[in-house]
Amino acid sequence: MPETDLSKKVADRYLKGEVLGEGTYGVVYKAIDSKTGQTVAIKKIRLGKQKEGVNFTALREIKLLKELKDPNIIELIDAFPHKGNLHLVFEFMETDLEAVIRDRNIFLSPADIKTYLQMTLKGLAYCHKKWVLHRDMKPNNLLIGSNGLLKLADFGLARIFGSPDRRFTHQVFARWYRAPELLFGTKQYGAGVDVWAAACIFAELLLRRPFLQGSSDIDQLGKIFAAFGTPTPSQWPDMIYLPDYVEYQFVPAPPLRSLFPMASDDALDLLSKMFTYDPNSRISVQQALDHRYFSSAPLPTIPDKLPRPAPKREPLTSRNVDVNPHDGPTVLSPPRKSRRVMSEREGVEGNAFQVDKNPRVGEFRPAVSEIMGGNEQVPMSMDFSIFAAKPPSRPTINSVDRSHLKRKLDLEFQHPE
Amino acid sequence: MAANFWTSSHYKQLLEQEEVDVVHPMDKEKGINLEDFKLIKLHMANYVWKLAQHVKVRQRVVATAVSYMRRVYTRKSLTEYDPRLVAPTCLYLASKAEESTVQARLLVFYIKKLYSDDKYRYEIKDILEMEMKILEALNYYLVVFHPYRALIQFLQDAGMNDMSMTQLSWGLVNDTYRMDLILMHPPHLIALACLYIATVYREKDATAWFEELRVDMNVVKNISMEILDFYENHRLITDERINVAFNKLAFKP
Repeated sequence: MPETDLSKKVADRYLKGEVLGEGTYGVVYKAIDSKTGQTVAIKKIRLGKQKEGVNFTALREIKLLKELKDPNIIELIDAFPHKGNLHLVFEFMETDLEAVIRDRNIFLSPADIKTYLQMTLKGLAYCHKKWVLHRDMKPNNLLIGSNGLLKLADFGLARIFGSPDRRFTHQVFARWYRAPELLFGTKQYGAGVDVWAAACIFAELLLRRPFLQGSSDIDQLGKIFAAFGTPTPSQWPDMIYLPDYVEYQFVPAPPLRSLFPMASDDALDLLSKMFTYDPNSRISVQQALDHRYFSSAPLPTIPDKLPRPAPKREPLTSRNVDVNPHDGPTVLSPPRKSRRVMSEREGVEGNAFQVDKNPRVGEFRPAVSEIMGGNEQVPMSMDFSIFAAKPPSRPTINSVDRSHLKRKLDLEFQHPE
Repeated sequence: MAANFWTSSHYKQLLEQEEVDVVHPMDKEKGINLEDFKLIKLHMANYVWKLAQHVKVRQRVVATAVSYMRRVYTRKSLTEYDPRLVAPTCLYLASKAEESTVQARLLVFYIKKLYSDDKYRYEIKDILEMEMKILEALNYYLVVFHPYRALIQFLQDAGMNDMSMTQLSWGLVNDTYRMDLILMHPPHLIALACLYIATVYREKDATAWFEELRVDMNVVKNISMEILDFYENHRLITDERINVAFNKLAFKP
């Protein structure tokens, strides 16, 4: 069996170390690549329940990370099957932004905060340029390497976007980082949701605690409105049409300065642009990077010089308790389970099995209306799948037409210049 | 256009014809020639479409599945990777990668329903095992771009997005998955070739529109010719020839 031999060889290449933590879909180990001497983190992906093969979320992460190569995105170095499980090899990261924010021994200067935000936005800008939404931005998904570089990780919720009327689930992000349009149940959203989350992270860096700690979706909106005032229709015209829109009692916005007394004017200006209610007017990641906040004094700290938590000492006895050394003693994010409700939902949502009588037409329609806008010239009843029409299906053009066609093709291209 | 093709792994992995038309040494030993190889891939592409119709997935999923299958056979042999297992597994994997998961048991159910032949019979565990091997064979690259989106844009831009042109060119694009074009050419050029054939076929004058495009029309022409050659040859394909190819595959030296 040549394949198993091969995968064993790959598996032997990595010397397994201690457990680093329990990821979304499996255990993460520290390991040494014996070939390069590099320290890596290996995610062992549990096989899905009910015999559904490679975990859907893991597959999504693999698919996207194979396309995303950037200094501010976690690198997927390798993948290999071993003993029936898929293993993903990532670069090893020392800590994460949540640990930095929570560590009371760390003083974050305005210049340090600027660098952390800049690296976050750079990673996001790269994703958005590649039409990928991260959809799970929060401090403990922003990993920090030994050189101080911050990298976006955990792409298990990420998706390629760009089809304007593709419907997405709004059950994404940890609640505290969820944009108001998501809380109002929108299914058509864009890069703005990541910007809102990045703004929450920015605020968290300034305050050293999560900014908007809602205890439910309703409460989350309440917290948002208490901070920025209840949005008016002129601020956000589309709001009232959102699926879960409910009217909130009007509260005026307190001055932003009162919430962030220590922040500079530039910081507040950028923050308010990132926290814009209407996603259509919210600043883009690229615009945010071009904001004068990043070019005005104090200039961002060099990543290498950023303050980081003191290296953890190896636990002496317990290897099994408190498996995630990054989290520190208090885990402030909402529990993981509640945030991960979407993968089945989405599977169903995308699966035409439940509703579509004719999948081929169903497939085609969004593509048409998306590009053609309102003027739909193709009736629903149309069947585009000539391929699958007749077994083994008659080709689109009959052979009789071809010689004629060929002659024509030749003619037309005879004098290209 | 969703995502950027030019920076994608799909673009970086495009192959030359000579790289695609290689019969694996193990298959060669069984007497399989290039033509048999192409026939088997064509037959399995049809199989994927047929199966997809029953499990009801989006067209994009089918196109991705066929692309996966064709990519697998640029690296692996038919002998070690039985196409009758690879094809449904590619559909299974593509359905996950394209966010419209189909349950493995549903696939197995329809395989049994569609083919009474024992050679097609595979169980859930076979599909799940093969899934891992296919992921490896694909080197975990799962993003595939397709000509459909570009086609719709071209049709609209050229003002030819009426039903007859849309239907014809869309069908032509579907047919290209019976060839290896998706492994060799950027999808938008495949779309242009299909559109080009459609304009000639419907006798629409689109010369001016084509001339304004900043693309190498020679490449478009070559793709068009390949498609036309395919139609030319398709007439000669019989079940018998497909059976002959599969019988060679079953041969144990």
